[in-house]
Amino acid sequence: MSVAVKLLVMFLVLANAAIAIFLAVAYSTHHPVREQHDVPQRGYSIRGRWFLVLVLCLIASFAASIPFYPYMSATSALGPARKVPVIAEQYAFIMPSRLPVGKAIIFEVTSRDVNHDFGIYNPQGHLIAQVQAMPDYTNYLRVIFHEPGQYTARCLEYCGIGHAIMAKTFTVGDK
Amino acid sequence: MVLTSDNTSRRVMTLYMGTGLALTALMMFAGLMLRASQAGWMPMSPGQFYAVLTLHGAVVIVALMLCGMGGLWILMRRLTSLSASTALIAYACIAAGAAAVIAATLFGGFAGLYTFLAPLPFYGSWPYWSTGAFLIGMSLITIGWMAWCMQMLGAVLRAYGGALGALAWDFVWHRKAFDASGRPLPPPEAFPALMAGFDGMLAGMSAMLLGVALIVRWIDARVLINPLWAKNLTYFFAHTYANLIIYMLAALIYVGLPYATGRKYHTSTALVVGWWCSMLLTLTNYFHHLYMDFVQPGSFQYLGELSSYLSAVPVTVVTIFSALMLVWRSGMKWTLGAIFMYTGLIGWVVGGIGAEIDATVPFNTHLHNTLWVPAHFHTYLVGGCVLFAVGWVFLCLESRSIRRTGTLMRWAVGLLTFGGMAVFLMGFYCAGAYGAPRRYAIEPPPGPELAKIASIGATVMIIGFALVFAEGVRLRFGYPDGDATMRIGQEVEA
Ligand code: HEM
Ligand SMILES: [Cu+2]
Repeated sequence: MSVAVKLLVMFLVLANAAIAIFLAVAYSTHHPVREQHDVPQRGYSIRGRWFLVLVLCLIASFAASIPFYPYMSATSALGPARKVPVIAEQYAFIMPSRLPVGKAIIFEVTSRDVNHDFGIYNPQGHLIAQVQAMPDYTNYLRVIFHEPGQYTARCLEYCGIGHAIMAKTFTVGDK
Repeated sequence: MVLTSDNTSRRVMTLYMGTGLALTALMMFAGLMLRASQAGWMPMSPGQFYAVLTLHGAVVIVALMLCGMGGLWILMRRLTSLSASTALIAYACIAAGAAAVIAATLFGGFAGLYTFLAPLPFYGSWPYWSTGAFLIGMSLITIGWMAWCMQMLGAVLRAYGGALGALAWDFVWHRKAFDASGRPLPPPEAFPALMAGFDGMLAGMSAMLLGVALIVRWIDARVLINPLWAKNLTYFFAHTYANLIIYMLAALIYVGLPYATGRKYHTSTALVVGWWCSMLLTLTNYFHHLYMDFVQPGSFQYLGELSSYLSAVPVTVVTIFSALMLVWRSGMKWTLGAIFMYTGLIGWVVGGIGAEIDATVPFNTHLHNTLWVPAHFHTYLVGGCVLFAVGWVFLCLESRSIRRTGTLMRWAVGLLTFGGMAVFLMGFYCAGAYGAPRRYAIEPPPGPELAKIASIGATVMIIGFALVFAEGVRLRFGYPDGDATMRIGQEVEA
């Protein structure tokens, strides 16, 4: 399953579960009416459990996501890897058009004018990595291209009316 | 004690909500133009596309803010002293600001977008005056907003005995002493008012700080603005505004749903603590807009994810859960007002799910600035905020009209509005999951194909809303000649 499908499935499962609960409660209005003071007892105990489950799930997801954070410390940015400067400007990326496959690359991304974003699309057109390109700052993005082919860098931060045409294709590997 | 039937209150509400809903309706057409243009059905130059996008984004946010402000105003006027002239001054500032924004985008072609990131406004292809007009317009809007916030905050603090009283501090920690003291306990709708007033002032201050800096930069190009600070300030206010809109409109649920279900809703410890959490978490959530800025201090990234996650807790455990308990086996009649209020809750939750996925840093790598972002916020703005506002208007109309909405009409409205909306929104979600960038006048595939489907969905949804409007007018002309007091929100404990 591609990342896109996974994200969509996750969203649809959660969203439909929520909608199902709403529909069930909505349907209950067709059942005989209960006095309001009869409702709380069970309601509050469900609410307590929901609170616990929700908080635990959220904290667990938070913890689980941390190892996948893309940030690099200043020292690891100095580690062994091919450094590739990327300069963004209205409406182009200045960067090499050929990059190695299977090697650690650290993109040093900055901008010459306004805010841009350096988004890398693989040969299948999926967005695999990105980082903002901010003037006065350099962002370090570490990527290993596992697959040779034609990649496209697109700008993902609105930067003016040429934003949608701001792209650069580059070849990974020596095809 | 002032009732909702009080004429001044109702006029202020009508002014705010009427303007807000009218602008929202207009902007739906602007939105449809954008989507149809991405579908290739409605040729627009990129310059036009981005000017309309700037207009659409800035104006709908202000429009829904007006709805929230007007709704909360009438609710709080029953309980506190609010001066109508202050509300009118605030309205005038906002209207003047909105006019400047409309002029800057429609006539000046300003296309820096409403979340303008410095220094973009000064690097545009549009005339220099339009940048100034836009910045001054946004500042005027903020001044009006802050005037309203100050009024609301002042009124709540006065009515409930200062900050601790308005926070219901003693009610939570010293229950016995509080009960014995006989001090008034803020009703549920007072908490959104407090939150809007307090968080709104903080957001307004950061907007003004940035706004003034940008206006100075506009006057003198030698002034330097740090882009990272500017981005933090931009999202601190823009994110907080967008969040406050729905929290403000939640006050309408607190009064509307008890009315529709014939049940009562009281302030409880869970509700109070929930609102404390919301007040705090809303201020730190905005960090999730800067996940892809690796130069942002790392601790903010962790804090951003944790706080974005946790903000789901008070909303679902308190507001949504209580709403479900109100409705559960209440025998509620499904009038249009009730349907909209209830469906708005679904939009809030579903939009929130989309948001939480995007607020997860590793997923954000795939979703940041893709169409997933408009997907989630259209879900909670159109499927949540708009429905709460429209639902409230319908509850008001239904409480006064002798006419009733027929079953056929309710089904037609439900199917067209919600069906169209679902298709429209899924177009955004699918495109976003596949990495289609947001804010692209011309999209890479599969963007254009999905834009076609989404445009059809949006058209159907607009037809649904047109029916809603027609039905609203029909109800309005069904007021009895003599007594037509608004019965909603009348039971307040003085
Ligand atoms: C039929 C109804 C609507 C349609 C078809 C529509 C369509 C769109 C489209 C195509 C975009 C641009 C997405 C992108 O490429 O980045 C957009 C942006 C936006 N829309 Fe809507 N929209 C509609 C209604 C609304 C409503 C009712 C609201 C608010 C209540 C709203 C709020 C926004 C905001 C805040 C933006 C962001 C602007 C920006 O990126 O600066 N829209 N909309
Ligand atoms: Cu760009």
